[in-house]
Amino acid sequence: MVELNGAIVEIPGEYAEASLLDFLREHQGLRAAKYGCGRGLCGACTVHLDGSAVRACITPVSAVEGRKVTTLEGLAAPAGASLHPVQQAWIDEAVPQCGYCQAGQIMSAVALLAERPSPSDAEIVQAMEGNLCRCGTYLRIRRAIRRVAPVRP
Amino acid sequence: MSERSLSRGARRRTWSRREFLIRGGVAGLGLTVFASCSRWLPVLPTRALPEPDEALLWVALTPLGRVRFRCPRAEMGQGIATGLAQVIAEELAVSRERIDVEFPPTDAIAPALMTVGSMSMQVFFAPVAHAAAALRETLRARAAARSGVAPAELVHREDGFDLPGGARVTFAELVTERDAVIEAAPGGESARPYALDGARRRSAIGANWAPLGAEAIVAGRETYSRDVVVPGMLYGAVARPPRPDARLLASDEAAARAVPGVTAVVVARDRRLAAVVAESPLVLPRALQALAARFDGGERISQQELDALLDVDAALARDDFEHEPASTGDVATGAREAVARLDARYDSPMTAHAALEPRAAVAEVTPSGVTVWAATQDPWLMQGLVARELGRARDEVEVRPHRIGGAFGGRALCQAALEAAWLSQSVGRPVRVQWSREDEFRHNGVGPQFSHRIRAGLGRDGRVASFDHAMISSPIIFTSAAIPGSLQPIVDLLPDDGTARGAIPPYALANHRLRYSDVRIPIVTGAWRGLGAAPNAFAVESAMDELAGLAHADPLAFRLAHVPADRPRLRAVLERVAELSRWGTARDPGVGRGVACAIYKDVTYVAVVAEVEVDPAARSFRVRRVFCAQDCGLVVSPELVRAQIEGNVVWGCGMALHEAVRAEDGAPAQTNFDAYPLLRQSETPEVEIALLEPAGVPPSGAGEAALVPTPAAIANAIHDATGQRLRRLPLRLAG
Repeated sequence: MVELNGAIVEIPGEYAEASLLDFLREHQGLRAAKYGCGRGLCGACTVHLDGSAVRACITPVSAVEGRKVTTLEGLAAPAGASLHPVQQAWIDEAVPQCGYCQAGQIMSAVALLAERPSPSDAEIVQAMEGNLCRCGTYLRIRRAIRRVAPVRP
Repeated sequence: MSERSLSRGARRRTWSRREFLIRGGVAGLGLTVFASCSRWLPVLPTRALPEPDEALLWVALTPLGRVRFRCPRAEMGQGIATGLAQVIAEELAVSRERIDVEFPPTDAIAPALMTVGSMSMQVFFAPVAHAAAALRETLRARAAARSGVAPAELVHREDGFDLPGGARVTFAELVTERDAVIEAAPGGESARPYALDGARRRSAIGANWAPLGAEAIVAGRETYSRDVVVPGMLYGAVARPPRPDARLLASDEAAARAVPGVTAVVVARDRRLAAVVAESPLVLPRALQALAARFDGGERISQQELDALLDVDAALARDDFEHEPASTGDVATGAREAVARLDARYDSPMTAHAALEPRAAVAEVTPSGVTVWAATQDPWLMQGLVARELGRARDEVEVRPHRIGGAFGGRALCQAALEAAWLSQSVGRPVRVQWSREDEFRHNGVGPQFSHRIRAGLGRDGRVASFDHAMISSPIIFTSAAIPGSLQPIVDLLPDDGTARGAIPPYALANHRLRYSDVRIPIVTGAWRGLGAAPNAFAVESAMDELAGLAHADPLAFRLAHVPADRPRLRAVLERVAELSRWGTARDPGVGRGVACAIYKDVTYVAVVAEVEVDPAARSFRVRRVFCAQDCGLVVSPELVRAQIEGNVVWGCGMALHEAVRAEDGAPAQTNFDAYPLLRQSETPEVEIALLEPAGVPPSGAGEAALVPTPAAIANAIHDATGQRLRRLPLRLAG
């Protein structure tokens, strides 16, 4: 059993050896997390495991048994809002180009801000370093994070 | 016969097809030779533009006064749906919220030029404006008829028309149960678009709209082709030949069939493919392993052999080049008169598209028709290819396009769609085929490698007296992925304009010659962001910097001195980037500045200054800041143009720092992001941008231009900081 976006769901036997990403996309129909590399190298599949960013493509589903998984689809739900403030910031800064990596980018950014509500520039860069974007939206990602977490004087 | 095809013939054409083409500046695409032998080339990329009357069908009024835009372009992050919707908003005076953008299936609109080459805004700005203006005038006529007022007395304003005396007819009121969808009336082509009226104040054009689709993306609701689920769908995985001409030797079909969950094993020796189909994607890796497809044959070319094949110096020794697209004056005379000489070689490697989305497609083949869900830069090409693959008529196949998770030239062809169609036909159920990252690196072709030699001389006056440029690379437009082997010998006689793109410097150069060969190699080479433009500008703009050094001149002033009088827009971007970067002011120790510029496809002017910090002890460098001045004419969506420039700068930094594919055993050796690193967050420079918009200049392309000068600007900055001239991409400092 796993707590997935606030609901308790079973992991069926056929998925016992699957990756968390396959379980989410193919069994749960939660397709925001993307396959990009299959080896934890690009970050497109980033989700939260007990609030921390993990790569779903190299996380065995067995490792999330009894734990709490949040995907992009579940991000806004707890607040009852239609969008999480980080998602809104992504729109306001016109971040997405092709958009394929952005679910992972947003999940990494939200995990960072949960841990450090006022991150330094270096902390932003460090937290986002593992999320690749071929369209090159990195500068806008920094600005969107700053929009939510302004530099403290 | 459908209503649409009935009305088509009746419509008067007020702008001819030729005018349409010339307006878009695509008249010289260089594929005319192809058209003449199209009987032997069954399926070609889509080059045609719809007839004006067909273009009118892109825009329609729907219930509640909403506007339906059937976007004739593929959306891959360049924001073209947003930009063209802004043009529509300008013509109809409607807000962003009222426009519903659709990416129509292949039979819903006429085929439109494939989405490549930064041409969407340049070529489609006017036709979309015409289509929306035509609808506006149709609505005006209807509003006039309804209210009994002469059309000329109606004043068009937000969502409708004002009548004399203060009453109003809204667009919503014009939609009735009988007329639920209103298209432009025949003859609408003659309506005059606001967008083309330079004197008119614009409101939607030039505004910063949030990109359409951004909400769906950030909420995880966007459906990429990999996310498509069709009832009854199976999953397929394909074993492909490791080299294009390798043969399928053997496979263990029985073992693959024995894997629990496998529904079918499909082997087609003539296609040189073997595949497994299963109820669940979880089964596929094991099934493919059990299938153990073995291939042999094909040219196992090594990187060393490739380097020899594409060695410009060997070709110079033989004095053997296929094409000479530029020859002015006499380079030998110029060289004799030179007081200082440059003789330098520049190299750039093969490159991968590495879009974050590995391709995928779903196909459903039934006796009555074929449906394909795919993300492609050319849905009509895929329609034709799937029809040929299955032996069906083109109009039996419908391709439903999806947002592309990055294309960069690598998605005109969506091979996964052909594979899914083949498998669906074999098993009689819908099939999804999704490539792995390794498939994407191995089987999608690469941008070719280039070797250049530039021999140039400086005259007594400090100007370039001769510029003799020789280069070797491989076909891009005439890629082996599209040109059948039987036609390659004929096609190879033609110059590949994609390979040579941007190789002619934008300067006034006395005594200039460009010679090149586009040598077909056993690895598939093809279109990659900007085609040859960035590798060629790396050579040309590095050489200009070296010549400035020989002349003891400031590199920016040296360039300005060579800008021809008829290219004031090039002068303007150079001068603007000088201001922006505070060129000529003191810089910190270890920091260098470099400049480079380009005119991309004769229409977009761009100059870049890179500021690089070098750590000599670590033999490393960091691009700190990049300044870019760009003139791409009228800017419809300023933030989205800036986003394209930022993305191009990131791409150019990646070329300078990392990107290289090496050949091994006839195939790309790099198969994932550990071996082919993309630029990362920590390596991304700050970017400062100035957009120049000379009055009266229509929009040109922004999707590739700023990439072109960026690697050269970085190499020039490293030289400024260290005195080291790096002539090979990616750039590596010596100890």
